[in-house]
Amino acid sequence: MSNRFLPNVFLAALAGAGLLACGGGQQREVIQNKGSDTLVNVAQAWAEAYKDVDPSVAVAVSGGGSGTGIAAMINGTVDIANSSRTMKDRELDLARQTGQDPREHVVGYDALAVYLHAANPAGELSIAQLAEIYGDGGSYTHWTDLGVEVPGCQDQEIVVVSRQNNSGTYAYFRETVLGKRGDFRLGTRDMHGSKDVVDLVEKTPCAIGYSGLAYATDHVQMACIIKPEGEGCVTPTVATASDGSYPIARPLLMYTNGEPSGKVGEYLNWIKSDAGQCIILAKGYAPARQVTCG
Amino acid sequence: MFDASPLNRRNARNEMLVRLLLGAMTGLLVLPVLLILGTLVYKGGPIISFEFLFTSPTNGMTAGGIFPALLGTIFLVLVALLASVPLGVAAAIYLSEYAPDNWFTRAINLAIINLAGVPSIVHALFGVGAFVIFFRFGTSILAASLTLAIMTLPVVIVATRESLQAVPQAFREACWNMGATRWQTIRRVVLPNAVSGILTGVILEVSRTAGETAPIMFTGAAFFLPFLPQSVFDQTMALSLHLFVVSTQVPGMPEELPFGVALVLICMVLAMNSLSIALRMYLRGRKRW
Repeated sequence: MSNRFLPNVFLAALAGAGLLACGGGQQREVIQNKGSDTLVNVAQAWAEAYKDVDPSVAVAVSGGGSGTGIAAMINGTVDIANSSRTMKDRELDLARQTGQDPREHVVGYDALAVYLHAANPAGELSIAQLAEIYGDGGSYTHWTDLGVEVPGCQDQEIVVVSRQNNSGTYAYFRETVLGKRGDFRLGTRDMHGSKDVVDLVEKTPCAIGYSGLAYATDHVQMACIIKPEGEGCVTPTVATASDGSYPIARPLLMYTNGEPSGKVGEYLNWIKSDAGQCIILAKGYAPARQVTCG
Repeated sequence: MFDASPLNRRNARNEMLVRLLLGAMTGLLVLPVLLILGTLVYKGGPIISFEFLFTSPTNGMTAGGIFPALLGTIFLVLVALLASVPLGVAAAIYLSEYAPDNWFTRAINLAIINLAGVPSIVHALFGVGAFVIFFRFGTSILAASLTLAIMTLPVVIVATRESLQAVPQAFREACWNMGATRWQTIRRVVLPNAVSGILTGVILEVSRTAGETAPIMFTGAAFFLPFLPQSVFDQTMALSLHLFVVSTQVPGMPEELPFGVALVLICMVLAMNSLSIALRMYLRGRKRW
């Protein structure tokens, strides 16, 4: 009997896989959507809501970072690549070499908030000050260098929280705060997710970190960024991000191969419609244009 | 008159100390397992319900259940088994029963051991290059399962080969002397006696496969899917990746949800391991030698 056992197990498994392969009725069209960790939660919300808009389409969402999405676009393994930065010329060339034709779509805006511990009295910061804190060779290493004393922070040494280097957030913050050729100082804590940065700053009195506006919680403080012209400061909000007054805000992008058509085109049109834009607003990002949501 | 000498007493004391120390070490080994399980049950237990196991996630994955991830993990493991078990068992039978002991088979053995030592992220990248891009399976259950299958193949081969070699040589010789061919001997005598060991290897493979994240992350597992997969060419959600997602990627996640997902995953693995032990005991009890 025991020599029949193994073959029987196989037959059962084969039957199971057969059911899996043929079950399910009508075939759905799958849209592959991959990339930016900043966009991934919005992309997930869109995919979840689109199930009721067009049940014949399934949007498969994956994260991994803007670089992952762009690489997948170059390889031709996605329909829509999410990115929180524009594709570089080198990446566009690579994509064209492999026969892709990436087209950019702005689906919303993201304001990068500078997060501080709730007890930190340094409520207003300028871009120049941020560069001194984050930049290679910057002169601010202690909170006392900025003229503040943070309660609960021993030694007053600044714990500089950053992101891993394939993150679009990392690239954008570097470009905006440190300039094209600027580099981060050594010894930053590089976190692997937007949420991790906020979690760490929330628990660490000495810390400063940057992350998407949507990741704010009630237990951290967002710095008011002093305008380069020196007149007052701007707090990151949905309104200041979409009207362009907040200095560290960036467009959120989706790339398609060629002008989108068919189901991919319908999906992108829906994302740009009021329904789609209200979802991104509800997730804490700024919509691509003015919308009124119920 | 047989009073303990100082030497006797010292030996006795040392004996006690060593016993205590080793016992404490063993206790330390068990401690993390108990702590992990205890924390998971305490924090994640309350969320486990029929709805949690059998409905889809809703509201940005912060509510609802984990059914697509649970089902996805089962699919991934099943398809991986279909690929790795026939291949692995066949290779092990050849290596153990047919192959001559020469430099070539020794090289193959070495390759298998090396394959077992390759980090899972390397398997993942191989899977992307080979299955997703070169064979054009796309990111799909098929690509992810084949990657898992390659990763777990060494376990199946080694477990099968060892259980085949545990069958006494005399059994084979007796069978050959009756005029049976090599294949008849393997099919009627060797395999039935080795099946418990083979199954143990297979089930251990299942439990490892179920928990892997890296190999499926780039080859077939999705952050979110609004529907259940319909064929092996679809992507799927998976428990291990879902655990990563709900614990690090989504703001405003209720605290007990990641613990609930972890509890389900670990229960699945523990259940598999228990099944493996039970099956092994049952089949060993039926051995006639």
